[in-house]
Amino acid sequence: MTDVVAIIVNGLVYGSIYGLVAIGMTLIYGTLRILDMSQGSMVMIGGYAGWWALSTHGFNPLVALLVAFVLTFVAGTLTELVSVQPLIGRAKSGDFEMVTFITTFAVGIVLANLALQHFGALQQNVPPIVGGVLHVYRGVSITYHELTMAVISVLLMAGLGLVLARTRWGLAIRAVAQDLDASRSLGVPVTRLYPITMGFASALAGVGGVFLGALYFASPTAGDLPLLEALIVVVLGGLGSLSGTLYAAYLVGLMQAFCEVKIGTTWTFPILYAAIVVILVFRPYGLKGSPSEARL
Amino acid sequence: MTAALAVQGLRADYGRTIVIHDLELIVEPGQTAVVIGPNGHGKTTLLRAISGLVKPSAGRVTLDGREVSGLNAEAIARRGVVHILQGDGLFPEMTVEENLEMGAFLRMSWRARRDALARVYNQLPVVHEKRAQKARTLSGGERRLVGIGRGMMRPARVLLVDEPSLGLAPVAIAAVYDAIRALRADSDGAIILVEENFSHIEQVADVVHVLEAGAIVRSGSYQELSEDRTVRETYLGLLEESV
Repeated sequence: MTDVVAIIVNGLVYGSIYGLVAIGMTLIYGTLRILDMSQGSMVMIGGYAGWWALSTHGFNPLVALLVAFVLTFVAGTLTELVSVQPLIGRAKSGDFEMVTFITTFAVGIVLANLALQHFGALQQNVPPIVGGVLHVYRGVSITYHELTMAVISVLLMAGLGLVLARTRWGLAIRAVAQDLDASRSLGVPVTRLYPITMGFASALAGVGGVFLGALYFASPTAGDLPLLEALIVVVLGGLGSLSGTLYAAYLVGLMQAFCEVKIGTTWTFPILYAAIVVILVFRPYGLKGSPSEARL
Repeated sequence: MTAALAVQGLRADYGRTIVIHDLELIVEPGQTAVVIGPNGHGKTTLLRAISGLVKPSAGRVTLDGREVSGLNAEAIARRGVVHILQGDGLFPEMTVEENLEMGAFLRMSWRARRDALARVYNQLPVVHEKRAQKARTLSGGERRLVGIGRGMMRPARVLLVDEPSLGLAPVAIAAVYDAIRALRADSDGAIILVEENFSHIEQVADVVHVLEAGAIVRSGSYQELSEDRTVRETYLGLLEESV
């Protein structure tokens, strides 16, 4: 029983943060058909924003989250303007996906190296958003930091879902994903919508970065692992499917927690990735994906 | 009187293939102009050049005397051009109602979208019935009706309708043309409707233009053109083949 509770609690915490970092990638792929490889750098920037606001200035944690959100929103918008906008309409769809995969990846590397130049290679400590530990059940505990992380991730993802389902701009984002020409003829300003969408997606990763910074450190390479994990979650969920991304995030989170509790940490990643290979062999388009259709 | 829409010396091409050249077309306010012509002769490209989905390589398009050629599709939509695309252009993963709401995306019409929805539902009961379904689950005829309904969601200075009968069964075509008559009664803007032949347009056409090889070659009333020997041979011949 204790093990089950531990698996569920840890699985939900991992899953929430995987979801938060990955959902932006899905949003961008669903609308713009770009696998945005600069998302890892947004996590990294979020980590430094947390370190700057919490460690060096001792601001309120909310300020740290806000700074990270704004900073990565701007960074994401600029990334789109520099590495995506000039290519729209100039490369055919398959080429466009490949070229922007590389250009966004390149921007990510540039950002990581700017961080290296400016902050140095040393890892910086980021304090938790909230201190303290919550005892859940007979020796199973969760830090308030992790709990806050999970709750805020879920709130942000639910907020994104609501925006997409209910608002004028949310409808427009989904419309652009499904039929570009029809959207333009209805008056959707695509050239403004793209950078804004990428800004929001990046801001979600940036907020995730503040939380992850406290679990690990702020460093120039802090975004590398989250990027890889997000990529896996996104593909496993089915490229471009928001609900698929959520399923995949919690599935990976729960599998990881299961391995850690039942088998041991050294076996976690081999087993996890072997499972992913098996799942993808049986479901090549991921849990909720379908071949090259609009899915948002 | 300033024309609702004036197209002068229009030229459009895809790379080296010239689709439209030196095309002249005037549409008066409130008028429904039907452009007929064989497939591949530039009808769709003409509409896309007017609405900004294709950039003309030469010539001018003016709306109420103001030049719009060179503007992008979003800006032209804001000037009051509504384009009902060939093959619907519906958003397949959105519900019928969401598709209609997108028709009112521009800020001014967004505020009035509830009223516009009520009007569309009133005129097209089938669309009302299907409002909660995803567009991809509809039949071809139903999708076409939703497309027309979406075109009614904001007021149009100029309304472009691209081959509404394309690929539909006769019963569905009749329903679509009922909807187009409703649309025509509903709108005080000019309408340009494109079709392959004369079959369904008699009751909607104020004037008919024949487009061949990228230019308007004949213009006149439905009566005049449908009695013209050369036009008859081409288009009534086509009609007999397609029936």
